[in-house]
Parts: sequence; structure tokens; C-alpha cells
Amino acid sequence: MMPWQNDFLLSPLFAITLTLGAYQLGSYLYQRSGHFPLLHPTLSGAIAVAALLASADLDYLHYVQANQLLVFFLGPATVSLAIPLYQQYHLIRRMIKPILVTLIAGASFASISALCIAYWLGGNTQTLLSLASKSVTTPIAIGITREIHGLEALATGAVVMTGVIGLCIAPFLFRWLKVDDPKIWGFCMGISAHGVGTARAFELNTTAGTFSSLALCLTGTFSAIAIPFAVTLIRNFY
Amino acid sequence: MLRGLLILLIFQCLGEIIKSTTQLFLPGPVIGMLLLLIALSLRGQSVPLQLSKSSQLLIRYLPLMFLPPAVGIFFLGEAFNDQWPAIIGALLIGTFLSLLFNILLMQYLSRKSP
Repeated sequence: MMPWQNDFLLSPLFAITLTLGAYQLGSYLYQRSGHFPLLHPTLSGAIAVAALLASADLDYLHYVQANQLLVFFLGPATVSLAIPLYQQYHLIRRMIKPILVTLIAGASFASISALCIAYWLGGNTQTLLSLASKSVTTPIAIGITREIHGLEALATGAVVMTGVIGLCIAPFLFRWLKVDDPKIWGFCMGISAHGVGTARAFELNTTAGTFSSLALCLTGTFSAIAIPFAVTLIRNFY
Repeated sequence: MLRGLLILLIFQCLGEIIKSTTQLFLPGPVIGMLLLLIALSLRGQSVPLQLSKSSQLLIRYLPLMFLPPAVGIFFLGEAFNDQWPAIIGALLIGTFLSLLFNILLMQYLSRKSP
């Protein structure tokens, strides 16, 4: 490869063009397939980028470095989650007890069940630390994983996959357990499938979407406090 | 737009400063989010239009922002070759169990207090 070609392929210009292009392609496929969960733009886009990087023998770490401009906005995006949370305050107050109990039990269950299964199937410490935040919305999950020294790439992939798996199985579970209340529908989507589930809940109706984003914000906040605290506690014991 | 983004960035800065001065183990942006929530509650009116516009735009494009880090799962390296059963098992079974658990709990609680 010529030197200028190498410089160009590692530049933010090329990397960001690639990301936007892959995202557009993913969104198009997702829309055309009638929102088929496995074609979610983040997943299908990431597969497209991975295939291109692998075939052109480009370094993944360089690609992420060159995308810093985009990834930077995860910070202010996390801060901005305060706004839907504030706007839904009246909903929280009316259903405070079921919301808080399900949130604390549900978010803990999501994290602990994943850790137990991973441990049982032979996961090492690094894997466990990266899976702890799997049900937390990505920007917060990345923050948590940095905090507890997990592997960011694995954590992000796990979060995206959790959302997609949630989208695939939730409709069957909801039908089987006869869930017809959009509030329950949305809240459970938000706890288990974070942003991916929330986008889907908004397609169903506004109430489901509101409860889903409420669950997403609360799960994120609770987990950001609980997971690093639990990890610090366990580390101090051993 | 820009004014809203400025407010968000200022709160993120505050969050990072508090984090590094108090050794808190919360991520900086999460502290910023909690501070902004407190500020909005103290102000007690509807959210300024500039701020809600910026927030809607940022939240809408979240899936785009985490695409680059998500690519990393395909490049974990050989050290992770024996970890795939644990990762896939935890994601599949864990997500199924946690959805089931949440639905049953929420149904039970809302039946108890309609």
C-alpha cells in the first residue's frame, strides 16, 4: 500500500465516513425488513465495518481512535438523559413503589444472572467485568466498564447484543404472559433491553416508550452506582 | 442547539471535576446527569426549548455514536477464543431470564396496588 493510502485510511475523515455510511446502510436494511431485530443498525452497521476492516487489514484500534469525534458525544448524550427523566417525574410519582422495587430487583437480577451464567460457562474475570453492565444503556455501560477496568469493546458489544436479543424474545414472552398494559411492556423493555428496547417501545405507543425510557434512565443510574460499588466491595474482600 | 449543547457540556465538566476531586466511583457524565436533574427540579419549570432540542437530537443518534466501540467485539483477539460460550450463554439465557423476572414482578406488583 502507498504511504498516502495508509494515512488516508487511518484518518478521521475516512473513519467517520465509513461509520456514517455503515449506519445508513444498517438503517436502510432495518427499515426495509420491517424492523427485523437482527438487522438493528448498530449491529448490521458494526458487522459491515468489521468486514471491511478485516478485508482491508486495518487495525480496529486505529479505527476507533479516528472516530473520537463521534464517540465524544456519548458524554453529553448521557448528561441529556436527565431531560426525559425530569419530564416523566409525574409518572414516577404515581407508580413509585412498583417502579422502584422492579428497578432495583430487576437491574440487580439482570447483572447477577449474567455473571452467574458466564462464570458457570467458564468466563474469566475480564469477561465477567465486561458483562456486568450488559443491560445498561451504552453510554453509561462504557462509563461503568472504564470504572471497574473491564474491556470496553466487549462491554459495548454485549450491550448491543442484549438489546437485540431482548427485541427478538420480548414479543413471545409478552404474548405468553398476557402482558397488555403498555406501562409494564415499556418498563420491562427498558430494564432488559435499554435503548434498543426503548426505540421499539416508542413504535408501539407513547406510553410504552415513556415507561421504557424511564426504566432506561433509572436502570442506568442505579447500575452506575451499584456495579462499581459492588466490585470495589468484592475487591476489598479478596 | 448550541446553547443546549453548551449547558450539557458544562454539566459534564462539573461531573468530571466532582469525580476527580471526591474520588467518586460514578462515571463523570452520570454525575453530570444527576446534577442537571437536580438543577431542573430546583428550577421547577418546563425544560428550556434549546436544551430539550439538543437532548432529543443526541438521544436520537445514540445508536450511531456507539457503533465504533461495538465493532470491537469482532476484534477481541485470541485471548478470548475460549470465552465465547460464557459470553453468548450469559447474553442469551441472561436476557431471557431477566425479561421473564421483570415481567412477572411488575405484573405481581401492579396487581397488588392498582
